[in-house]
Amino acid sequence: MTTMTAFERLSDEEKHNHFMQRIEAGEKIEAEDWMPEEYRMTLIKLISMHGISEIMGALPEKEWVPKAPTLRRKLGIMAKVQDEMGHGQLLLRVAEDLMKPYGRNREDIMQDLFTGRLKFHNVFHMPAPTWGDAGLIGWLVDGAAIITQTNMLKASYGPYARALQRICAEEVFHAQHGEAIIMALAEGTDEQKALVQDSLNRWWESLLMFFGPAAADTTGSSKQDTTIKYKIRTKTNEQLRQDFFTKYIPRVLSLGLELPDPTMRYDEEKGLWIYKQPDWNEFKEIVRNNGPKSKERLRLRQLSYENNAWVREALSPSNEAI
Amino acid sequence: MGDKGREFYQEFEVFSKRTFKSPFQHQFSLLAPNHELAVVMAQENFMRREPVVDIWVVKRSDIRMFNQEEREALQRLDNKEYRNTKGYGYLKKKWRDKEQGMLDEKEILSWGGDDK
Amino acid sequence: MMKTPEDVRAQGHEKALKELLLQLADDDFIVAYRGSEWLGLAPHIEEDVAFSSISQDTMGHATMYYQLLEDLGLGVANDLAHARKPEERRNAILLEEVNGPGHYLEEPRYDWAFAVVRHYFYTQAKKIRIDSLQASSYEPLSHVAIKVNTELYYHLMHWKTWFKQLMTIPGEARERMLSAVSRSMEDAGGILALGPHEKKMTEAGLIEGEEFLKKRWLHEVEAMCDDCGVQVTLEPMMKRGNGRALEHTEDLTDAIKTLSAVYRQDPAAIW
Repeated sequence: MTTMTAFERLSDEEKHNHFMQRIEAGEKIEAEDWMPEEYRMTLIKLISMHGISEIMGALPEKEWVPKAPTLRRKLGIMAKVQDEMGHGQLLLRVAEDLMKPYGRNREDIMQDLFTGRLKFHNVFHMPAPTWGDAGLIGWLVDGAAIITQTNMLKASYGPYARALQRICAEEVFHAQHGEAIIMALAEGTDEQKALVQDSLNRWWESLLMFFGPAAADTTGSSKQDTTIKYKIRTKTNEQLRQDFFTKYIPRVLSLGLELPDPTMRYDEEKGLWIYKQPDWNEFKEIVRNNGPKSKERLRLRQLSYENNAWVREALSPSNEAI
Repeated sequence: MGDKGREFYQEFEVFSKRTFKSPFQHQFSLLAPNHELAVVMAQENFMRREPVVDIWVVKRSDIRMFNQEEREALQRLDNKEYRNTKGYGYLKKKWRDKEQGMLDEKEILSWGGDDK
Repeated sequence: MMKTPEDVRAQGHEKALKELLLQLADDDFIVAYRGSEWLGLAPHIEEDVAFSSISQDTMGHATMYYQLLEDLGLGVANDLAHARKPEERRNAILLEEVNGPGHYLEEPRYDWAFAVVRHYFYTQAKKIRIDSLQASSYEPLSHVAIKVNTELYYHLMHWKTWFKQLMTIPGEARERMLSAVSRSMEDAGGILALGPHEKKMTEAGLIEGEEFLKKRWLHEVEAMCDDCGVQVTLEPMMKRGNGRALEHTEDLTDAIKTLSAVYRQDPAAIW
C-alpha cells in the first residue's frame, strides 16, 4: 500500500479537477472521498435542512394523528408521520457523516435548529387547523416534495441519492394516503367538501412558495446554481414549480375544487403556467422563523429534546451500567 | 447539554437478510448508545415494509474501510480469461465432436437440486 | 370449542365473551392512542420510529378485537372505538393515564421513564394473556391471539431493553425508573384484572383466571427486577379503581374527546 499516496500528492487544483471529472462522468461521490469545501458545505446545508424539515414536518400532521376519524385513518396517518421521522433519520445520517470531519454530530444539528442557525422548510411553519389539512398535506405538500426529491434521485453524492431512493419509494404511499383522505372528503357531505376547498385556499401560497423563488434576485439568495453545477439537482425552482402545476392542477380541478388563483392559466404558446406570485417578502419572514407557527413548533421540538436529555445522558457509553 | 448527551449518538451500520436463502445486505446506518438499543431500532427504521429474517448491527468504528486512494487497488486488467469459463469456451466444440454436451455452469449448478 | 357467534349464543357465553373482547380491545386502543401522542417526542429519532411501529401494531390488535365484536353483532368496529362514552369503556386505568403534564401539542413534559415502565408492565401482561388466549374456547379469538403473539415478541424485547438499560444506570435514570415503577404499581392491578365477569369467562373456557395470570406476571417482573439488581415491592394495586368495572378517570374523558374529535363532526359520514 506504499504506492497509494499518488492522490494525496496532488495539488488542490488537481484534486478539484479530478473531482469535477468524476462529477462530469456521473460517478458517485462517497462520504470518505476528497471533495471541495464548497461541495461539502452545500451538501451539509441542503441535506441537514432537508432532514430537519422532515422532523419538523411531522409536527403539523402530528396534531391529527390522535384525532384521525377512523381506525384505518389512525393507522394510516401514524405510519405516514412515522415515515417523516424515518426520512429525517435517513437524511440526518447523511448530513452527520458529512459534518464528521468538523467534529459535529446530531447534537449540533439539534442545537443549530433551536438557535435558528439551521432553517427548516417554509411549508412547515404553517398552521394545519382541520382534518382537511391533514389530507391536503399528504396529497399536495407531499406531491410537491416528490417533485423536488425525484429531481435529486441522481444526485452526484451517493449517500444522498441512496437515501432519496428509499424516501421516494415511501412518498408514493404518502401521496396515496393523502389522496385517500381527500377523495373521501371530496366525495362526501357538503361540509366535508368545504373542508377540502378551505384547506386548498389556506395552503395555496405555501404550495407556490414550496419550490423557492425563481431566481436569487427575488429574495436575495438561492443555492440553486451551485447545486446544479455539482449535479446535485438538475432542474431550477421554477421548472419544478411548473412540473407541479402540470401534474396536479388537472387533478385539483377534477375533484371539483376551485383554484384559489383566478388568474391562473396555461399559456400554450410559451408552454408555461401563468400564475400570481406569492408574497416573497412573507417567504423571507417565514424562513427566518417568523411564520405563523414557527416559534410554537420550535418550542415543541426543543422542549421534547430537553425533556428527554436525561435519557441520552444516562445512556452515554461513558456511564457504566452496574 | 454536556458531552454525555453527545456520546449517546454512536454510529451503527445495519445489515439484514430478506429471506433465509439470501445473503446479508447493508441497509443503512443509525445512531444509538449501544449495540442492544441499536438492535432494537434496526428493523423498524429500515425494514418496516419488507420481510426480514435476520439482522446484524456493527459498530461503525469496528469497520476498516477502503479510503479513496485504496479503492484504486480494486482495479484490475481485463486479461484473466483463464480464471473464468470464458477462457475454456473452445471445449464446447471439442466435446460436440465427441458427441458429448458441455458441462457448463448452468448444467453443473443444477446438479444440487432434487428437481431433476 | 365455539367456532361461530351462533355457537357462543347457543352455549350462553355471549355476555362473557363480549366483556372479555371489550377489555382486550379497549386496552390496546387506549394504550396505542397514548403511544401516538408520543410520536415525534421520543428521546431520539430512531426511537420515535421504533415506538410508532409498536403503537401501530397495537392499534391493529385493537382493530382485530373490535372486528370480533362486530362479527358478534355488537356494533361497527369503528363506532365501538370512537363513539362509546368513557363510562362504557373497559380499559385498565393505568393505560388511560396521560403521558405526563402538558398536551401533545403544547408544553408536553412527557415522562420517558413512565412510558417505559407502563409499556413494559402492559406488554408483559398482554403476553401472558395472549398465551392463555391462544387456547381460548372461542376459535376466532384463539386465531387472533396467535396472530397478535407474533408481534408481541418484538414489543416485549423493545420495552425490556429500555427497562433494563435505564434501570441499571445508577443515579437519575434509576431514580426516575424506580419512581415510575412504584407509581405504575398503584394501578398495575387493572391490567391484570378480568373484572366482575371473570367467573363467567373462565367457566366458558375463554381465558384462564386472574390469579393464574397475575402469578405469571409477578414471576416475570420479579425476574426482570432481579436481573436489574433492584428491590421492588411487587404489589399491583387498583388505587384509582377498576376499569373493567367501568371505573375511570378524567384522563379517559379527555382522551376520548380528542380521539373522536373529527369522528364526532359527522359520525354517519365516510371519512
